Amino acid sequence: MSSAEDRDKSQRMEDEWSTEYAKMVGRFGDAAPKQATSPRSQSGLPLKSAYFPHDLDGIDVEEQIGRPGGFPFTRGNLAAQHQLMAWANQPVIGYGLAEQTRERMDYLESQGMIGYFGQRFYNLVYDLVSHEGLDPDHPAARGRIGQVGMGIYNVRDMERLFDGMDLRKINVVHITYYQTIPALAQYIAYGEKMGVRPDELRGNSMNWYHQSAYVGMSAFPADQGLKLATELISYCSKHMPKWNTTNFFGYGIEEAGGNAAQETGLMIAVGREIARACIAAGMKADDFLPRFGFQFSQANDFFEEISKVRAMRRMWATTMHDEFGARDPRSMHVRIHSHTSGAVLTAQQPLVNLIRTSIHALGAVIAGTQAMEVSAYDEALGIPSVEAHTLALRVQQVVQEETNVTAVSDPLAGSYYVEALTDQLARKAMEIADEVEKQGGFVAAQQSGWIRSEVEATSEQWREQVNSGERRIVGLNCYKVEENQEHEVFAVDPSLEQLAVERIQELRATRDNDRYEKAIAGLHVAAAEFAKAEVADLGSDRLMEASIEAARAEASTGEMMAVLKEHLGWAAPHEF
Amino acid sequence: MEQPIRVLLAKPTHDSHDRGVRYLARVLRDGGFEVVFMNFLLPEDVLSAATQEDVDVIGISSSAGGHMHVFIEIAQALKESGQQDVLLMGGGIISSSDVKKLRAEGVGRIFGPGSDPDEIKSYIRENARVATGTRN
Repeated sequence: MSSAEDRDKSQRMEDEWSTEYAKMVGRFGDAAPKQATSPRSQSGLPLKSAYFPHDLDGIDVEEQIGRPGGFPFTRGNLAAQHQLMAWANQPVIGYGLAEQTRERMDYLESQGMIGYFGQRFYNLVYDLVSHEGLDPDHPAARGRIGQVGMGIYNVRDMERLFDGMDLRKINVVHITYYQTIPALAQYIAYGEKMGVRPDELRGNSMNWYHQSAYVGMSAFPADQGLKLATELISYCSKHMPKWNTTNFFGYGIEEAGGNAAQETGLMIAVGREIARACIAAGMKADDFLPRFGFQFSQANDFFEEISKVRAMRRMWATTMHDEFGARDPRSMHVRIHSHTSGAVLTAQQPLVNLIRTSIHALGAVIAGTQAMEVSAYDEALGIPSVEAHTLALRVQQVVQEETNVTAVSDPLAGSYYVEALTDQLARKAMEIADEVEKQGGFVAAQQSGWIRSEVEATSEQWREQVNSGERRIVGLNCYKVEENQEHEVFAVDPSLEQLAVERIQELRATRDNDRYEKAIAGLHVAAAEFAKAEVADLGSDRLMEASIEAARAEASTGEMMAVLKEHLGWAAPHEF
Repeated sequence: MEQPIRVLLAKPTHDSHDRGVRYLARVLRDGGFEVVFMNFLLPEDVLSAATQEDVDVIGISSSAGGHMHVFIEIAQALKESGQQDVLLMGGGIISSSDVKKLRAEGVGRIFGPGSDPDEIKSYIRENARVATGTRN
């Protein structure tokens, strides 16, 4: 507010509104819905039913909002949002073996899937067998080969997948869980084979060890995970300047049932932990921070999800600047891959999901995303069909080409509501991040089970609200129909399992066994040493180098993971 | 006093979607059931836990595929070891054609996303061997 006089005017407006509003509520009496009398955001933050200029009183417009492209980047990383460069289409791709995945990559590209300035982007997810770090002939691989991701297990599979592509000209995201280092090693080794140096490779590693704090898949112990993440960042900061090393998996928090404040607050917490580890290992903030990225969920509460992204940009920039000495603007940018929420989609009346994802995608664009995956409408039924995958891409294209929301940077800036909510979320999220610090940092808060129980409590609350009907979900607890329609579900060809098994056996039979044995022995030595190392001892990159050598020697990802599991430990991360 | 029904809820280690099954574990525990929760790699792991814990019900959660042989092997092993009175049921993202095949193999009900927890409780109460009086 510019003056006391303006403030009084604003307050008078609110008073007048408030009187009228109370009268209207009174007229509806007890029938007035709860959201009319005590409105809350979906993460539980108290809202007002209308906002006024003085609601921005506690917010410093210059320091906390700024301009698009200016610190603290609340309004976006760059001056231009989508005017010159649309976000990258990054549908998640991966099913079957190399050939099936490649077919879907080529198909989606033919349908207009495109990255920044026309670059080719491929957002590739590995299958369940890879995530568990197994080979396809392991007994637990049955029924899981090429499921929910691609069965790419070694350098030869990489050759089949990228056959004929120039790796220098494509950007490849490797969606791995805890097999991040072996998967990157395979890609580097494949690149070398094709005459492409690591410093020419573009793409992403997920480096998602932190997700074991809130996701129940088997994992390395939390402290070893932090070191593995640091190892990859250290190697890439020296040898792969174009490689995005780490993705902060906020999405997983909302998918696990957490809310917007938890999603962003916990990402600040893990950001602090990893930044501290990198500095302890001898790196400088401006050397590793520019290669960090984020994945956030875009879920149902339209304004809250947009405000969340704006709040995250402000919090990250401020934290990295103030606490870690970041000075390069790129070190303070939150580069976002938006993933529309899968958890809020329903198996009931699945086509309705297209409406939901369209709203989510619109929100992600308004929030200023850099890349996007729109969930397929049949997500709650199985692996996306070709039709569902195509329609998900069309959602992005409609928002981009037809709505004109791309004309203006940060179009909701200055909205009393959105600015107030952005500030409210930033405060709430920083409380969560600071609570984690008090507990000794992200790894400690994971080890104590605090993170999981916080997220789970929110998840259960959500579920109770759905059960009681307080939270309404179309097709699930209201507007229901008899679900007798059979939906055609996409299925992976079961004969591919046999092929995957034959291929891994052929690999073992035909690779240079002496070289393999030597490389695996080297990996054992490096892993044993790594297991005992403190974070501050890292920086020699011996584990990365040994992994790359193992990949060159045609070790499979499963074989490398077996070595890592043996030395670092591997277990389900949460008790019940 | 009525004997509590013992339920083993199991989810594959590589399936990240555990929100539903963990919620169900809580609901069942609060509802007076005895609940054992585990992650498993192989069907054998589930079977040995079931035997060790002497459970009346085995619930398999699967939201990422690869469940058919798990259900079928567990169902067969229960039959072979004379434990067909143990109720084998499931939940998660399991297609209707898979559900049909599993029912034909003797697997109990499969509860998909959004299922009503009260309905699951009633189903278990009506079909577990403790309730039907078939427990050895």
